[in-house]
Amino acid sequence: MALMPKRVKYRKSQRGKMRGGASRMNYVAFGDYGLQALETSWVTGRQIEASRVAASNYLQRVGKLYIRIFPHKSITKKPLETRMGKGKAEVEQWVACVKTGTVMFEIGGVDEALAKQALSRIAHKMPVRCRFVNRRHVIG
Amino acid sequence: MARQTIAIKASSRNEMGSKKVVKVRDRGRLPAVIYGHRKDPRTVDFDYHDFYEAIHHGHRLFDVDIDGQNETLLVKDLQYDHLGRRIIHADMVRVDLSEVVHVTVPVVLKGTPKGYSQGGIVDQHLDHIVVECTVAAIPEEIDVSIKELELDQSIHARDVKLPQGVKLLSDAELLIASCHIPKKHIEEVPLEAVPMEPEVITARKPEEEQAEETKEE
Repeated sequence: MALMPKRVKYRKSQRGKMRGGASRMNYVAFGDYGLQALETSWVTGRQIEASRVAASNYLQRVGKLYIRIFPHKSITKKPLETRMGKGKAEVEQWVACVKTGTVMFEIGGVDEALAKQALSRIAHKMPVRCRFVNRRHVIG
Repeated sequence: MARQTIAIKASSRNEMGSKKVVKVRDRGRLPAVIYGHRKDPRTVDFDYHDFYEAIHHGHRLFDVDIDGQNETLLVKDLQYDHLGRRIIHADMVRVDLSEVVHVTVPVVLKGTPKGYSQGGIVDQHLDHIVVECTVAAIPEEIDVSIKELELDQSIHARDVKLPQGVKLLSDAELLIASCHIPKKHIEEVPLEAVPMEPEVITARKPEEEQAEETKEE
């Protein structure tokens, strides 16, 4: 079951633009290790669900997986062989807007080798290049 | 082990504002600001490579030569770029080695808990605590032994053994780590029960539409 919001104010949204890097959600905040996006893209609800299944199958209920992105944005698509016009098409999928630097997934309670393997399985389901990141200690 | 001071050179900086600071970074310098001790704040820049190497090796206390003037500085804050790879700005605070300061110190769990053998897992809820100590006695990290941690037991901030001269400032009741049995997997909701479309808050109800139609007529 692909992820989507329970309630929305408006069903259809404009496409928008994603400029620059992530100014928040760009560090590991909950777990010990994370998966950071190195490109900007939409990540669909199906891709998030597929990566959750891939990681939880591998982890076998060890540790905790944090999914930090959620598909809030609706994307519409006109059916094939349809003439242009006649208003905005129906919603086809829901996506999360992921900017460069966004930490999309985090894992806690497992060792580094296991976390790397699990996050690598997630990375294969993602439409963006990713890298494995560690938690950064607070300075001050 | 307490912090050691490392000598580093800095130069005064007149370029201020985000656009001008980009040029400073392009020259291989790291923009920084110095404040504290009721003196005027000062903008400086460091050699990026020297500063990064020092931070990477765990140094937080610097003996800085700013155009011939010596100051002892403690790193207060670091700003990273969006990928978390490169330091883009440093906040440094003026200190004396005998001065008492409030600092954030990382907490590192050591050992394998007894609860592991009973099928438990360890959750680290907090990875840093705030302590009060003299600048010369700032610990690099605080090691917390979890060897004696059994199932359904936890370690709070009050249980942490701090080095001599270091006082805890964080709430003593803060939970640092706990050992427990992992929660059972929650069964997923069957597909039929989940609506395929979200509820639209601003959608018109059929009664409202009918009322509008009658008005138009």
